[in-house]
Amino acid sequence: MIPTLETARLTLRPPRLEDFEPYAAFFASDRSIYQDGPLDRARAWKEFATVVGQWALRGYGAWSVEERTTGAYVGEAGIFHAAHYPEPEIGWMVLADAEGKGIAHEAVIAVRAFAYGRLGLKTLVSYIDADNARSIRLAERLGATRDDDAPLPENERCLVYRHPGPEAMQ
Amino acid sequence: MTSGTHIITVDVPRLETARLRFRPPSLDDFEAEAEFYASKRSAVIGGPLRREEVWRKLAAGVGHWFLRGYGRWAIDDKETGAYCGQVGLWFPEGWPEPEIGWHLMDHAEGRGLALEAAVAARSYAYASLGWSTAISLIPPGNARSIALAKRLGAWFETIYVHPSYGDMEVHRHPGPGMMQ
Repeated sequence: MIPTLETARLTLRPPRLEDFEPYAAFFASDRSIYQDGPLDRARAWKEFATVVGQWALRGYGAWSVEERTTGAYVGEAGIFHAAHYPEPEIGWMVLADAEGKGIAHEAVIAVRAFAYGRLGLKTLVSYIDADNARSIRLAERLGATRDDDAPLPENERCLVYRHPGPEAMQ
Repeated sequence: MTSGTHIITVDVPRLETARLRFRPPSLDDFEAEAEFYASKRSAVIGGPLRREEVWRKLAAGVGHWFLRGYGRWAIDDKETGAYCGQVGLWFPEGWPEPEIGWHLMDHAEGRGLALEAAVAARSYAYASLGWSTAISLIPPGNARSIALAKRLGAWFETIYVHPSYGDMEVHRHPGPGMMQ
């Protein structure tokens, strides 16, 4: 079973097929350009299934983020570790109407605590497009710092933001 | 590559045939899959693919089980334990309807293993999932898979134009009533 995490305003729960519609709408829009988008529905589905399937391959993956008061699906947060990633990555995406409320920040804090606590991961980075000012700001608010010496995922061009390690989180 | 220590399992029924054991795909299959998708043989199913694309395929295959409750199994040779490939039930976005699909590693070809596995997957779809019909979606040039579809009793029905992959042949399997 994929675990469920609770924060003050959010429930991070296992992704479900119903989440695909808002997920696909996000990836159809230009807002997804920093996440390899826009993607057509077939490719978005594959991406969605990939981050869900990773749970069984790695023991971690993506959560769907739900706003608890409304029950609305507002995005995704999770830990990604594809074959060509040198180390696990913490990533997020938030739907357009849910932006500006600190949702990603709140979700990522919970995911990071889970990654260091329950999973015992030792490092976490975020791979961010150099033009993605919004995500860079969030990474900085999360205490992550640019690590230009970190190895990059094969065939990808991005900045690496390294999160404070588990010892700094105590 | 090793699996995480925090084990999350997906609910996948374990089927068996005379020579094969069905199980969920795992990280241990990655190198074999990457080798298959690096080879020319994979051209008939959209290859060759780079390692990161193979990773996506492997993970998406597992994700399909989480999302649909069915999917493709990894199949092992019961006698040797060797990983033989994937066979199963597949219905991603962009498919016209659920299909029975397969791909085998080189070493597993030519022994009727795909046939044996596809028959079991089809029986499972009809008996346990209640499917009333099934297709196999095959790229026009894939003579080997077309021949297998015929051996399974399926017949060519129409061409389906997939949004990304283009023309695909729809082969219709005999329904559950014809399987008795």
